[in-house]
Amino acid sequence: MTEYAASSALAQGLQGCPICTSVSPAEETHCAGCGATLHAGWDESIQKTWAWLITSAMLYFPANFLPITYTRYFGKTTESTLLGGVVTLWEHGDILIAVVIFVASVLVPLGKMIVLAWLCLSVQSGSNFALTQKTKLYRVTEFVGRWSMIDVFVVAILVALIQLGNIMSVRPGVAAVAFAGMVATTMLASLAFDPRLLWASGDKDNKK
Amino acid sequence: MVTTAGSQMVCHECDLLIAVPALASGQKAYCPRCNYLLAANRPQALTIVFAFAVSSLLFLLLSIAFPFLGFSAGGQERTVTLLQSIAILVTEDLPSLAAIVFTTIILIPAAFLIGAVYVSSALKMNRSLPGTVTVLRWILMLMPWSMAEIFLIGILVAFVKIVSLADVSLGLSFWSYVLFTVCMTVVMLYPDKRQLWERVRSLNDD
Repeated sequence: MTEYAASSALAQGLQGCPICTSVSPAEETHCAGCGATLHAGWDESIQKTWAWLITSAMLYFPANFLPITYTRYFGKTTESTLLGGVVTLWEHGDILIAVVIFVASVLVPLGKMIVLAWLCLSVQSGSNFALTQKTKLYRVTEFVGRWSMIDVFVVAILVALIQLGNIMSVRPGVAAVAFAGMVATTMLASLAFDPRLLWASGDKDNKK
Repeated sequence: MVTTAGSQMVCHECDLLIAVPALASGQKAYCPRCNYLLAANRPQALTIVFAFAVSSLLFLLLSIAFPFLGFSAGGQERTVTLLQSIAILVTEDLPSLAAIVFTTIILIPAAFLIGAVYVSSALKMNRSLPGTVTVLRWILMLMPWSMAEIFLIGILVAFVKIVSLADVSLGLSFWSYVLFTVCMTVVMLYPDKRQLWERVRSLNDD
């Protein structure tokens, strides 16, 4: 075990509560200080993360390929998908906004899923590779996930404002709900993942 | 309470187990391994949480009361309040989307703020109100699900999309919503978790 891992709480059979910061024994499932649910141990954390990840991966497809808005313009209705919207913005010259939406709605969720899947796999294979970087990467996914909701709110505001009957109106598409579900499930996946497991990988068999 | 008691802590970032010493007022403790802010002694935290949570709730009420956004094109004008803008999603056949938006931008923030007012006033009055521990635990768990600031960025992006098609205007309630978000961010970021819990526990022990 590396020196880094040895001074960690997990190696000493302890864990900190993310809600109230008090220290409990590692096998405890509820915090002694505030009663919050703690990470439930090896198998459950990885299983839950996979379950949420698979759900979000399934939602990724309807979110990206079904129409997110229907726009009616002088009687003619066109539907647009999330990526279609990004392309339109780009063509109109709103490059900055196009990039923001593309990053927040397409890259971040996909990247987050790939990172969490990689972290789960590396815990399961007992890898000791780049643990500090992987822990940092995990904290980044924990932090940025919520920001993907931007596009859901954009759709809500467009629908709320553009309601001029036949002249111009916007209706929401089912992809918006799938998208919100995808954001929520990736957030739940990263909440379920226990980053300390990365450090325990080296001696997985003793930790069961 | 001038100093916070020293105690063992686990760094949220890197899982280092460390004994954090007692902190004098205004002092902060950083993780020696990854430099994450572990704990701080902020003597004014309760006053600030209480004041900003109450202001934030008032701004939230105001942002429901007046026109939120306006839109005009082809000689037609339209202004909507915040609640109308959510209600439209129901009439446009996506009540689930309306529920998601309402929950993340109004309901959860409101619940968070009411909880923050409850806990901070219990601590300020030095009275043990029922369920303080449960309320504090719940509002800390709700925090990542409040999406007011993301909603504001969403409005900005929607405006960029609309601006070439029509004129858009910001109502009184929009500005109120901005102030609500700013105040709520202070409530979320300013207090120190460890210090809050220490006070809640000492209150319940009396």
